[in-house]
Amino acid sequence: MMDLTQGQFVKHVLTHPFEGYEDLRWKKSGSMAIAWGIVFLLFVQQFAYSRFYGFQYYVEYEKIFNIMPYLIRSVILFLTWVVANWAMCTLFDGEGTMKRIFINSAYALIPYILSYLIGTFISHFLVMDEFVFIELIQIAGTCWTFVLMISAMKAVHQFSFIKTIVLIALTIVAMIAILFLLVLLLTLFQQILIFILSVYTELSYRLRV
Amino acid sequence: MGDNMSGLSKKLVSIMTAAVISGSLLTVQTSAIEAYNPYSYDNWGDPVSSQVGYTAEKFVDGITMGCGSFVEPADLYISYDNLMYIADRGNNRIVIADLDLNYIREMKEFSYGGETLTLNRPLGVFVDQYTGFIYICDTDNSRVLKCDTEGNVDRIFEKPVNELYEQELTFNPNKVCVDKAGNVYIVIRSITRGAVMYDKDGEFLGFFGANAVEQTAEVLSNAFWNLISTEDQRARTRRNIPVGFTNFDIDDDGFIYTVTDSQETSTDLLKKLNPRGNNIIDSLGVDNEFFFGDIPPTYWSIYAKRSSLTDIDIGPNGEINILDFQHGRIFQYDKELWLLFIMGGSGEQLGTFRSATAIESYDDKLYVLDSRKNSITVFERTVFGDIVTEASNYYNEGLYAESLEPWRNVLKYDGNYVRAYIGIGNALYNNFQYEEAMEYFRISLSQGYYARAFEGFRDQWLKKNFNNILFVIIGIIVIWITLRILFKKGIIKIIRPNKGRF
Repeated sequence: MMDLTQGQFVKHVLTHPFEGYEDLRWKKSGSMAIAWGIVFLLFVQQFAYSRFYGFQYYVEYEKIFNIMPYLIRSVILFLTWVVANWAMCTLFDGEGTMKRIFINSAYALIPYILSYLIGTFISHFLVMDEFVFIELIQIAGTCWTFVLMISAMKAVHQFSFIKTIVLIALTIVAMIAILFLLVLLLTLFQQILIFILSVYTELSYRLRV
Repeated sequence: MGDNMSGLSKKLVSIMTAAVISGSLLTVQTSAIEAYNPYSYDNWGDPVSSQVGYTAEKFVDGITMGCGSFVEPADLYISYDNLMYIADRGNNRIVIADLDLNYIREMKEFSYGGETLTLNRPLGVFVDQYTGFIYICDTDNSRVLKCDTEGNVDRIFEKPVNELYEQELTFNPNKVCVDKAGNVYIVIRSITRGAVMYDKDGEFLGFFGANAVEQTAEVLSNAFWNLISTEDQRARTRRNIPVGFTNFDIDDDGFIYTVTDSQETSTDLLKKLNPRGNNIIDSLGVDNEFFFGDIPPTYWSIYAKRSSLTDIDIGPNGEINILDFQHGRIFQYDKELWLLFIMGGSGEQLGTFRSATAIESYDDKLYVLDSRKNSITVFERTVFGDIVTEASNYYNEGLYAESLEPWRNVLKYDGNYVRAYIGIGNALYNNFQYEEAMEYFRISLSQGYYARAFEGFRDQWLKKNFNNILFVIIGIIVIWITLRILFKKGIIKIIRPNKGRF
């Protein structure tokens, strides 16, 4: 039984939020390729949300375009989640490896991504009064992702429900810490770079004379 | 290869030259005569170069007028009978001139029941258009005089003896105005609770139109601590007191407009008060975020000085002229509070100011009083200003179709003029040209209007294509049913490659 292809497993996980992840775990299934594809879709969704949403609902400052915010909001945030979750689970004796966490979390994101992509698409056909339908789809998708994510974390680490919730809360704290340190590191490197550059400039002026 | 490259670079050079020439032509058109760079704001709140609606025409001081130099003049008022009253603070007099700024006479001495009164540093003057009485803020004498044109004082307004008025506060009247019913409103500089209000018999009525306290973090935290602190502790905390407004004007419908001269606050910078004292600005219009004066920049904001609004004047079409003392700028808004023009700047040249204190308008002219240059600068409306005024007048009266042509003209002069796109969009919308309207609303970033136009566009489209849509839906249903029947009878089979559960 359960001879599913990787693609069929995605569908199985999405439609069976409670046993799907357990099946995924016991079959040692799940593909990194698909997971990366989903993360890329997350990036596409973030981009589409701020650039291609129906004009009457949402408009973003359009004079400057920078890809970084979208990358940070999708790929970087997701990777931080995975790393923070892995770091926390080692403290809690969770069973998940980094790869399993990555795959399970990515699969759980699908309803969120799809609901927002659908919302972005139909926002071009609905008038202001019908915005409630878009909202409904988006909230439903987000809730579904939330349920899936809890189930995913529960299955990947073999935790109890309460322990999973605690883990998720701690993961978010760890994410904030990691991001803070990252920003600090970047600023530091920037300072060093500026220092090296100014030494170089100084030297090059003096050598020329 | 080399030939190709040079050909390409030549092309580039010619394109760039064309761009530079057209760019410089534009700048020549916009700012050849102004002493400053005219600008306006786009819908993002970013400054963009624009054209002026009024250009400085002449500069008149007391000596050219023939009444001796002004000393720190404080206020300017144009009365219903087209006379200009100037409160000449340093000379303790009121100068009266006609609108071409020819001196007529001055008022220095007033008689009140046999005794002679003189002024001491008057700050404000007002003429009641219904009764013809002149009201003068005799500031350092702590009184407001109501007199006729001959200087016979009819009534003196002094510090009210009333428990509402804290007696230790000084009574230093700054500005005065009178409404249709004869109620007198006086702005007192030491009072932040609003204007002091008297009825026509000189009876103290109370305070009128206080500003709200700005919701800052400090105010919120105070509110929180007040919940749990004792009476004694509460008395020692800083009280949340609003900034009082500094100046006002009354329009012909009896609405009082106030401005607040403060660098710190950003609430209630401009208010339109109904006779009950309620601010009715909030209930105006869609898609209009109200901000008055210069918009503070997001970055480097600590280096930018914020506007401080000192005077307000309501023009003949309901335009609102606001004077920014900090930068010496005039901001003109129409009666729906859309920014029309920004003029002026600080400096010594014609059209710029060192200490702009009062503004008045008459027909298509603006008069600005500068208390350090001791002079009056006269601005006259430009051709561009005429077109914009015409368009916005039609628009505000609801005559969208008539406003279409002037708005298109405005865009010929200034493509950055956001208001014109909204005007054209609304004209097209009212003419059921939803798709074109959507385009204009898209450019002007008016989401609310765009949503309305889109609704119309969708209805129109659905009505036009109803038959086709119905046809497609019926077609799909028919095909679906036939396919199901064919499946059931086994005429068509789907071969599943996988034998899994799905």
